[in-house]
Amino acid sequence: MVNLTIDNRQVTAPKTATIYEAAEMNGIKIPILCHDKKLKPFGACRMCLVEVEQMKGRQIPACTTPVTEGMIIHTATPDIIKARKMVLELLLLNHPIDCPVCDKGGDCDLQNLTYDYQVNGNRFTDEKFHHQIDYNNPLIERDMNRCILCGKCARICDEIVSFGALTFIDRGIETKIGCEFDGALNCEFCGSCVSVCPVGSLLARPFKFKARFWSLTKQKTVCGYCGTGCNLTLGVKDNKVLTTIYDQEQGFHKGQLCVRGRFGYQFINSEKRLTKPMLRKNGTLVAVGWDEALDFVVGKLKGGNVAALSTARLTNEEFVLFKKVMELSGSKDFDHSAGYAHSALTEGFARSFGTTASPATIPDIQKSNFLLVIKSDAYETHPVAGFEINMAVKNKGVVLNILSDKHGKLGKLPGAKTLLHVPGSEIALVNALSKVILDGKKAAGIASSVVGYSQLEQSLSDCSVEAVAATCGVSVNDIIELANDYSAAEKALIVFPVGLAYPGHNAELASAIANLAILAGKIGSEGSGVLCMSEKNNSQGAVDMGFYPSQDGKNAQQILDGCASGTVKTLFIAGENPVVSYPDRTKTAAALDKVDCLIVSELFLSETAAMADVVLPACSFAEKEGTFTAADRRVQHIKPAIRKIGLSRSDFEIFGVLISRLGGEVPVSSATVFSEIASNTSGYAGMSYAALGESGAFAPVDIKPAFVDVKAPGQTRQAGKLALLTGSSLYHCGTMSQYGEGPMHVCPEGYLEISRKDAANNKISENDLLTVTSASGSVQLKARITPRMSEGVVFTPYHFSSASVNQAWNGTEVTWVTLNK
Amino acid sequence: MSESVELKTEEQEPEIDISIADAVIDKYINISGNLMPVLQGIQDEYGYIPRVVADHIAERLNVYPSQIYGVLTFYAQFHLKPRGRFIIRVCVGTACHVQGAPRIVETFFDKLGIGHAETTPDLRYTFEKVACLGACGMAPLAMVNDSTYGSMTVQKVDDIVADYNQRPLK
Repeated sequence: MVNLTIDNRQVTAPKTATIYEAAEMNGIKIPILCHDKKLKPFGACRMCLVEVEQMKGRQIPACTTPVTEGMIIHTATPDIIKARKMVLELLLLNHPIDCPVCDKGGDCDLQNLTYDYQVNGNRFTDEKFHHQIDYNNPLIERDMNRCILCGKCARICDEIVSFGALTFIDRGIETKIGCEFDGALNCEFCGSCVSVCPVGSLLARPFKFKARFWSLTKQKTVCGYCGTGCNLTLGVKDNKVLTTIYDQEQGFHKGQLCVRGRFGYQFINSEKRLTKPMLRKNGTLVAVGWDEALDFVVGKLKGGNVAALSTARLTNEEFVLFKKVMELSGSKDFDHSAGYAHSALTEGFARSFGTTASPATIPDIQKSNFLLVIKSDAYETHPVAGFEINMAVKNKGVVLNILSDKHGKLGKLPGAKTLLHVPGSEIALVNALSKVILDGKKAAGIASSVVGYSQLEQSLSDCSVEAVAATCGVSVNDIIELANDYSAAEKALIVFPVGLAYPGHNAELASAIANLAILAGKIGSEGSGVLCMSEKNNSQGAVDMGFYPSQDGKNAQQILDGCASGTVKTLFIAGENPVVSYPDRTKTAAALDKVDCLIVSELFLSETAAMADVVLPACSFAEKEGTFTAADRRVQHIKPAIRKIGLSRSDFEIFGVLISRLGGEVPVSSATVFSEIASNTSGYAGMSYAALGESGAFAPVDIKPAFVDVKAPGQTRQAGKLALLTGSSLYHCGTMSQYGEGPMHVCPEGYLEISRKDAANNKISENDLLTVTSASGSVQLKARITPRMSEGVVFTPYHFSSASVNQAWNGTEVTWVTLNK
Repeated sequence: MSESVELKTEEQEPEIDISIADAVIDKYINISGNLMPVLQGIQDEYGYIPRVVADHIAERLNVYPSQIYGVLTFYAQFHLKPRGRFIIRVCVGTACHVQGAPRIVETFFDKLGIGHAETTPDLRYTFEKVACLGACGMAPLAMVNDSTYGSMTVQKVDDIVADYNQRPLK
């Protein structure tokens, strides 16, 4: 710490702080335009000029100057005020004064500073710019006439998003922010540039002319898409969520969002939302009152042979109540996420770590020295966690290694190494890494005392690194090097995504990874461990609340089989859309068709809801209170931003009524249910809504490591066919993002990524409609030729109802397909 | 005004042999800070930086395409359009200006049918006004590639154009 004087106040600040940071820490405001605490200091705008007595006569930028012992700083002398006024005059010289029609009005740093400094005239004159406004994409409007060249957009796109869509182009007075060859913006549309733009140069088009900033009610909550658990501020007016608002103080990610979080909110107020309960009468769903619908549901639940499937998007409190509903219905058959998407936690980690949660957190990414990412898709499934990886590698020099069946964006990070392997061979490779560590006697000292060590040695004794390398299509040296680097790293973290589209990322892979981490001693310290990135916003919560079958209960697949065979009479589906997202559409739809009574609570009339006998209109995350548990077991409190849409009710209320009708104890409020959770869930002890506050709290993970014998599955290669991989698209999460206009504007339909070579061999051009045929069916997808794929491997995302991939995919990690035009 | 500004309209580029660019990239691939020498080397080969080559450099060097474009438009030395076989540069610096450079420039414009920083459709000539060529004693001054023509007159413009019209394009 150093001591310094700012505006005649004695203050202290860390040695690494800049003058700006030191002032901010001590509550002294220095105006800024080009500075953002997430970005490296830049010093472009000169608004933060201050005087330092030791540098007499000079005005220096506070945002780039580090503090030194004994510094005496004045932040608001008459000379400084005069200089700042001139900076504003010069900026306003070219900046158009179109504030009355600018959406940034009220939230504009330039406008606010002009007001603060009372710049009510300009001593200079110059022409305004006449740049063309970029309206080429539906999400981000670029009006370079308003730009003040602070460079924040270009810097955030480079430093955090690592896409680099924007940069300074041209020179001198002609300098502007632009894309390559001064073309239209064509990027990930995460909107990070929009969030940091201090003026109205970069605007969210979906919010244009919707409301003035000051008329919005701002509600802090948690994003309802993926398991990263990003904090979100919703801008609300007239009971409509109109935008998301950037708040750099929010969450571990400091307000950073991805395309879904920022632009995918429209599903909340979608016209397609269900507003009334519906009951099937004479073959068609007709609107009925809640009493009639619930009478029907209660009757069916009392009839026995009930099973339930849930989405992983419910709150923790709702999962608890849903379990009670099932208990009162006399059923142990309930599951979520198709049964397999949580198996890495509920089976893999349960066996290997003695707990069903990851022994690492997302903030560990930046605290590590070495990252091993299994499948490049971790960026697509959890984009904001991907940003953390970007920052770890670019700013902190963290070594990044990727084991993947295709190239991805993470592989382009500086120094990143991608070990490209044959699809479906992750387990064999991870086992081989363990084998190298064992053979090289590099295992951590404590590993030999861990349960199952000798069995692991025994089991890996017949693992030949050479043979694995040959079948996986990687070199022996790469495996050995990776294993040695991993074991040598002081802190090493393994990250792997799980989800409906990643059936191969299962209990076996989780255990194989756990073996490797335990063997190398990379567990239990900060920056080390294994991070299983659960797919949905509350996947981890669903596991923590135990919404999966115990040993004598049916899992999701068995439940569907039960529906088909008639042993399940009533199926209660909450929020899940198995027809589109579960493997094998024909089989799933047939099972749902067969079941006597299908109860669906949903936001939309999804393909699954359309088959139901009774549809209960549920609420989105923006209309209810509760808690979500992120992939790294960060428990966060969500609060309603708007009143419920139509007659919809939250699942909490629906389950509450059912519990009382079934004779159970009626829950008082979500807060009381949460205190029940806190009292009986491991890791949640001591938590309450009040204690969670805005930043939430980590539920600690208690690890009891054990080695688990995992055998790699055999290769299933089929000659003459292509390996179809399923996965997540960057713009979507599950099937819900189909109702978010933003994601749908950018990525409206499924596609098939194919290598240049395969495209050439099959005479396929971009956007050709291809029929993808597997043993279980076929689906039509448009071709997208990319350098990402290697020869013989194709990839498709799974989110889309139209041409859903599960028509040709039956849940295997790799599906062998042929392509026809 | 940097010359990139009028180059925004996309035109069909002639068939580009990427392997020439690859040879240059290979030479510098393992050197840090290699973007400038690569761009200079590639411009030496093609005479300008074709867009497909810029994209190819981005992929090979793992640099954002936007960043390459930023560099290309920052430095006056890079060209984004094919350049003429003969680069005519006329000085319009102070000394040349008072000695009548504007008339020399006008005459070249008339003769060649192109303006500043433009190239004739047959790719024979590119014309550029430059600020100073460092030979004020010879004002008004013109250069064609590396040949210098001092004490320029309107008549000399005719002679120069007639001379270079005869020369082979390759």
